[in-house]
Amino acid sequence: MNAPHDKAWVGRRQFLALGAAVTGGFALGWAAPVVAAPDRVDNKQPAAAGAAIEGGAFAVTDWVRIGADNTVTVILSQAEMGQGISTTLPALLCDELGADWSQIRLELAPTATAYRNPRLQWQFTGNSESVQSFYDLMRQVGAAARQMLLSAGAEQLAVVPTSLAAQGGRVIHAASGRSLSFGELAASAAQHPVPAAPTLRPDSELRLLGNAVPRVDAPAKADGSAQFGIDYIPPGLQGLVFAAVKSAPDYGGKPLAVKNLPAIKARPGVVAVVMLPHGVAVVAQKYWQARAALAAAEIVFEAGRHADLNSARLKALYREKLAQGPFKTVKDVQPSSGPVQGAPFEATYELCFQAHATLEPMNALAHVTASGIHIWAPTQGQELAKFAVAAALNVQPQTVQVLRSPFLGGGFGRRLLPDFCVEAALLSRAVGRPVKLIWSREEDLRRDFYRPATLHRLQARVDGAGRLLGLSQRVVSPTILKPVFPPLDLSSGVDPSALEGTLHTRYRVAAWRTDFHLLQIPVPTSVYRSTGYGPNLFGLESFIDELAHRAKADPYRYRRELLAHDERALRVLDEAARRAGWGRKLARGAGRGIAFVDAFDTVLAQVVEVSVRGQQVKVERIVTVADPGRVLDPAITDAGLEGGAVWALSALAKGEITFDKGGPVQTNFHDYDLVRLREMPRFETHLLHTPGVKLGGVGEVGPVATAPAFVNALFAATGQRLRTLPLARSGYQLV
Amino acid sequence: MKIELFVNGQTCAADVEADTPLLWVLREELALTGTKFGCGIAQCGACTVHVGGQAVRSCVLPAAAVGSQPVTTIEGLAATPQARLQQAWIEEQVSQCGYCQSGMLMAAAALLKFRPKPSSKDIDEAITNLCRCGTYPRVKRAILRAAAA
Repeated sequence: MNAPHDKAWVGRRQFLALGAAVTGGFALGWAAPVVAAPDRVDNKQPAAAGAAIEGGAFAVTDWVRIGADNTVTVILSQAEMGQGISTTLPALLCDELGADWSQIRLELAPTATAYRNPRLQWQFTGNSESVQSFYDLMRQVGAAARQMLLSAGAEQLAVVPTSLAAQGGRVIHAASGRSLSFGELAASAAQHPVPAAPTLRPDSELRLLGNAVPRVDAPAKADGSAQFGIDYIPPGLQGLVFAAVKSAPDYGGKPLAVKNLPAIKARPGVVAVVMLPHGVAVVAQKYWQARAALAAAEIVFEAGRHADLNSARLKALYREKLAQGPFKTVKDVQPSSGPVQGAPFEATYELCFQAHATLEPMNALAHVTASGIHIWAPTQGQELAKFAVAAALNVQPQTVQVLRSPFLGGGFGRRLLPDFCVEAALLSRAVGRPVKLIWSREEDLRRDFYRPATLHRLQARVDGAGRLLGLSQRVVSPTILKPVFPPLDLSSGVDPSALEGTLHTRYRVAAWRTDFHLLQIPVPTSVYRSTGYGPNLFGLESFIDELAHRAKADPYRYRRELLAHDERALRVLDEAARRAGWGRKLARGAGRGIAFVDAFDTVLAQVVEVSVRGQQVKVERIVTVADPGRVLDPAITDAGLEGGAVWALSALAKGEITFDKGGPVQTNFHDYDLVRLREMPRFETHLLHTPGVKLGGVGEVGPVATAPAFVNALFAATGQRLRTLPLARSGYQLV
Repeated sequence: MKIELFVNGQTCAADVEADTPLLWVLREELALTGTKFGCGIAQCGACTVHVGGQAVRSCVLPAAAVGSQPVTTIEGLAATPQARLQQAWIEEQVSQCGYCQSGMLMAAAALLKFRPKPSSKDIDEAITNLCRCGTYPRVKRAILRAAAA
């Protein structure tokens, strides 16, 4: 993602004068951290450093509050959607501060400039950015608060700050054996200036970083007490009603009427039937009442102007653009000696539309009043939701506050979009009451912003021995980034997210060219776990495998030769081959495939083993070796990489969204299936470190290598090359 | 209609439409929101609870059909002999987003009730719930850990 660059957009991002007042709490048990939502948002300034808040706590900085009871409250700006960020970021801060982990309490950040991603100056959770962009910040704010505590301790103990250490929640003067707790020092520490460039601790002093910290959310997720968006109701909210919505089956379709409107309005609990531009909502006292009434409503829809859209037409359009363009050349590196010569080879790869299908369907609670709008939602895109709601309801953005529910039932990019928040706000305005909107699974699938279908034509020039000399690729894709980043100017014909993985390679090739066609289609498309890297590197890593086999070379050794100059890459690739027992003989009908990727600044190699019986494919084993530079938490990283590979198995074997009569065909999990437990292979994940490189993300790289390694394994087993997925397109079935 | 349910060891009353699924009675009438809505057609298992000791998908079961059979939800799991699953879940750090995990735990509890020492194959067959984060390998490890405890 690029930073917001549109001036008008930036100008609208005004400072939000809403504080993070604290009430209530969600006890998570375990070794302590508690997530408290900022339930009550007063129109007062954010807790300024030095200000006493309530209950005798002091805001040492925007991010850390220390109570007289010695609790340390850390503000959690990033949404917890399974990636473990509510453990890892506070652990970083705790380590720097010198607090004891048991002192830490967590509180969700409101939408406020202080809690933006420091690199992009925008408040969101996604793009594997949470660790990459907040690592330095968490350490700095922890170090700043520590320095302030040390200064306060030095005053009280009448010693120099350098003679003190912060450890285990105390400021300790080792020479005299005296110490003060953080709680005792909080009030005076808060009076000290926040140091602009605090000194970070040396690695030797860090106790949590690099270790497996038990997830703070594990207990609440094992006893059902974890509050997701769908569960969350702010304490004390009066008059809440629930909404179910049904939109037109085709893009651009409109509701004309509800034929049995009086009967629907007379149903139990029904408060209102609201006509929206794209569909009909029923608002009722209970969600089930709304849902049942909506199901009984005889809605007449008028088809929109895309009613003739279907998958066959889309496919033809993609093919036409691949052949004819126009293309934008986004990368063209050629050797100074002139274009590379050599034998040409070409292959085209095709991926399908896919839905996010987060297990928690989209939902939001909105309360629109004359004085302002509050949204409580499981959102990855707090700040975008704020501006989108303001724009849709034509109010000033500073009157809108978007608060995140404690937990998100999956995100994967879908919850960066603000559409469900906007719809809840429109409904609340329509009925004049707080409304909790919950989409049915059917609505959730129909109104997704899909991972787009993409088409990739790769061309190589190889020498007499089959070695790769130059590579050029054509990519046809609709936009990915625009819906989650509206300022993006697409008139240039370039979408940076769709190009991920096509602009750079670690492979040594003399020539490298990428041409891109930005496809215009009515189907909404956007970011989806692995974004552009997934499809683009599926093409590249399948193609490299094809080149290896054409050269009669071992696919691992063929890659190895292309990476001979790159120590870090070789280490990852070699380790994957070694761990997988590459070259060891497999049973008849079995095959092993390898893929190597560099995505989200993590270098990763994966070996997939399959066994094939007729048209049935069993994935036996997936060996992953990843080097994110520095592993902040090995257990959370391992779980994320493994989960990513499972995500990829669903993507390669199961789900495909198709279109007919202007809209998507699949409606629920019976026809948009995901992999299940019985289909799991054995997973082995190994982590490597490389000091001094940019910190890599681990949330989205997990799935990237799996699909190409899988098709490469299937080729090894059967001699059949799959250039399109999911598997069902080729008559195979995962077992 | 007025119905009476026996949930997590307590008698509860609710006044709902006759077709209201057990899921929504639990969530909206009894404030037991640990049981989740995922699909509404008994495909994903996020709504799994025990009725009469069996794992059922509560999104398609009318509450009125439950009758006198006892209902156990995730909130009541700790009071059952299968409570050790919850500890195993924490020890194996199973959950990621966590949304499917109430249903997973209840499906696992039903399995252990009838097969205290399940084989890997038993688990493959019994656990058909969907998890989008891909926690399946850890789900299996936690079930085996609880069974070994």
